[in-house]
Amino acid sequence: MNSIAVRATADDIPITREKLSIRGLSFFYGDSKALHGINLKLHERQVSALIGPSGCGKSTLLRILNRIYALYPNQRAEGEVLLDGENILRPDQDVNFLRAKVGMVFQKPTPFPMSIYENIAFGVRLYENLSRAEMDDRVEHALTKAALWEEAKDRLGTSALGLSGGQQQRLCIARTIAVKPEVILLDEPTSALDPISTAKVEDLIDELKRDFTIVIVTHNMQQAARVADRTAFLYLGNLIEEGPTSMMFNNPKDRRTLDYITGRFG
Amino acid sequence: MMSLYSRRVVRNKVWLSLSVGAAGFGLLWLVLILSTLVWNGIAGLSLSVFTEMTPPPGSAGGLLNPIVGSLIMTLIAVAIGTPIGMLAGTYMAEYGRYDRITYAIRIINDILLSAPSIIVGLFIYEILVVTMGHFSGFAGAVSLAVIVIPVVVRTTEDMLLLVPNQMREAASALGAPQWFVISRVAYRGAQAGMVTGVLLAVARISGETAPLLFTALNNQFWGVNLNAPMPSLPVVIFQFALSPYEDWQRLAWTGALIITVAVLSLSILARVLLSKGVER
Amino acid sequence: MAELTMGAVQFAERSNLKRFIATDSFFKYLTRAAAITVLAILFGVFVSLTLGAWPAFRAFGLDFLTVQTWNPVTEKFGALAPIYGTILTSLIAMLIAVPVGIGIAIFLTELCPRLLRQPIGIAIELLAGIPSIIYGIWGLFVFAPFLQQHVQPALIGFFGGVPILNQFFAGPPYGIGMFTAGLILAIMVIPFISSISRDVFDTTPAVLKESAYALGCTKWEVIWSVVLPFGRSGVLGGVMLGLGRALGETMAVTFVIGNAHRISASILAPGTTISATIANEFTEAVGDLYTASLIALGFILFVITFIVLAIARYMLSRLELKTR
Repeated sequence: MNSIAVRATADDIPITREKLSIRGLSFFYGDSKALHGINLKLHERQVSALIGPSGCGKSTLLRILNRIYALYPNQRAEGEVLLDGENILRPDQDVNFLRAKVGMVFQKPTPFPMSIYENIAFGVRLYENLSRAEMDDRVEHALTKAALWEEAKDRLGTSALGLSGGQQQRLCIARTIAVKPEVILLDEPTSALDPISTAKVEDLIDELKRDFTIVIVTHNMQQAARVADRTAFLYLGNLIEEGPTSMMFNNPKDRRTLDYITGRFG
Repeated sequence: MMSLYSRRVVRNKVWLSLSVGAAGFGLLWLVLILSTLVWNGIAGLSLSVFTEMTPPPGSAGGLLNPIVGSLIMTLIAVAIGTPIGMLAGTYMAEYGRYDRITYAIRIINDILLSAPSIIVGLFIYEILVVTMGHFSGFAGAVSLAVIVIPVVVRTTEDMLLLVPNQMREAASALGAPQWFVISRVAYRGAQAGMVTGVLLAVARISGETAPLLFTALNNQFWGVNLNAPMPSLPVVIFQFALSPYEDWQRLAWTGALIITVAVLSLSILARVLLSKGVER
Repeated sequence: MAELTMGAVQFAERSNLKRFIATDSFFKYLTRAAAITVLAILFGVFVSLTLGAWPAFRAFGLDFLTVQTWNPVTEKFGALAPIYGTILTSLIAMLIAVPVGIGIAIFLTELCPRLLRQPIGIAIELLAGIPSIIYGIWGLFVFAPFLQQHVQPALIGFFGGVPILNQFFAGPPYGIGMFTAGLILAIMVIPFISSISRDVFDTTPAVLKESAYALGCTKWEVIWSVVLPFGRSGVLGGVMLGLGRALGETMAVTFVIGNAHRISASILAPGTTISATIANEFTEAVGDLYTASLIALGFILFVITFIVLAIARYMLSRLELKTR
């Protein structure tokens, strides 16, 4: 029916508990409604992919999960997002602490204009007072985990802006995991990268799901098929269908999902 | 048909030559002013200009006390104006970026940026000189600070707005509170531009005369007392140039040369710094 | 690797969070206070000048604007002569600076070889950076004597036989006077107009220009019918900014204006401007009414420049909307 190769079958997915539970979630940019009552469960130590055509609301949904949207005025979410049973949309939720628990990597690499070491220490220093040796360890661990240690260990003191695009993106991932979050949000993390760097980042995602709950937005269906355990398809601000990735790609229930994955629109 | 076309070609040539002429006209003045300035100023330039006090008419002397006075007042003006300007620019680009009040402040700041400096002098005269009962170096410094503020506000805001929002999002996504994002990420991205703003402000005030005329006034003697009238290079130039004494006039030319060299090198330095910062 | 297990941040120092929130609101209010200082300065200027000028306005009323007398001895003051001088010198300046400034901008954006663009642009902008007192001293010692010996006699001779116009160029060549002040203001304003116009012309979309060239337009026709109309409001904004500078310029004018409180038909005659009057007389003013009258002059200048600069900003913001 289609040619997309799916890495895991439904049976391979480990059964884990719910990490994030999205209930009746709507989102507004000013007066225009971008999400319409989304219900979705995301499981611990799994990779969940959000797919759909541009403007479908997949990035918007991702940006609600760490409340990064709250940086801007006139953006507003209604409904509930439970993280381990606690609603992160409640007004008294401390957004800074939330973002330390729910990390995010963006479409374009965003290294800060400082050294590689400082880029990683930046977030760690906010919540932990580590000794120099402990910080060195943390930086090494994070870079190792992000498969960047071998390339970066001799130039930790040099500017992060000197790294290649793919290295920069892995640095951003290292920076995120150094803070020890519970959930990692990836917003089209490879769309600005070449194929080799993309493969490296995808391997990394596979590795990281042992420790973290991962949500990835991608416009690349092959990528979703390669890395995700479960996939959700959004269209025009609605969640059309969600399920194990193999099911979504081999046996979608909804006509629109089928149309999208077979390339009839998007 | 051909005659219409050739008329158009001629008209094209005439107007284009006029615009080349305009550029030549503009450059001519720069060359004329700078060359007469160097010609007249260098004659009086010697070490004693920097080591001796302003003389009474008819005797030798230098410009030490007004140079020191100018430096002191400029330093204080920058010390007062820079933090206020940078904080205000920070509010406009960061915390208050989407506030209505920011819009109003931006307009008012742009107006202050080009407002006549003599009006600033009158303002400080009214609020400081009248209330303190006498002219003072402090009042002079404050009036210069009022000129520094809009320059720094403008460059700080502009430079912070150039820092991509993605940077702020990336830092916030690590759990950094807004002040941390601003001070560690936004400022770092904008620092070259912000330093440029301060340099431009210094260049702007080092030649300012009008706001000092009735705030710091002048002083023939050595004085670092901020609570008393204080001499400054521009005001001394004004006084000496309009005097009938030839040696005073010569010192005025020398002072003018010193100020111009200082101001022009500051603005060139600012430019170089900015282009380097943008390249990166 | 064990260190990187999930949930470690739970053990992070919670006390940091409270400090973050406190620091954030402190920093926010601090920056807000600084931003409001900008508004306070403008408000303070307005209030202090109004209060300082009040005795003069009360004593003379509207006559202050229409009377030419400026007599410290009898304490009769009218602002007509300095207002006239301010407007006339600015008018002379703009008549020269607008075409020259726009011409320079056209040269820099459309004609200049790429290699020379930046150095010439910077050189012209350096003209704007030269402090006004330098223009003053240069005007007094170099430019005014030159005008007196070479230019003004020629003007007087040339227009001497022409009815009506001969009144504008009458009298002995003083060297200093309103004509000289206007010329110096022109030199000072040119870089303002040219640098803003250049930025404005640079924003003209290339497709617009190319489509005009594709119709067979000459360079000048493209400039005249595409570049200039596209940037019109921006250029007007630049012109108004330049006008604001000319109206309020103090030191350069004070040196060469002649400081005469009278309105002469001849533009070669000495006169005065608002800012030159204040600069020359303020510290010597004895008597409250004299001081108040000078502050009243400052108030008038403030109002005029405020309006001109507000129009300038409005024009420039309209262009910004167009190019966004």
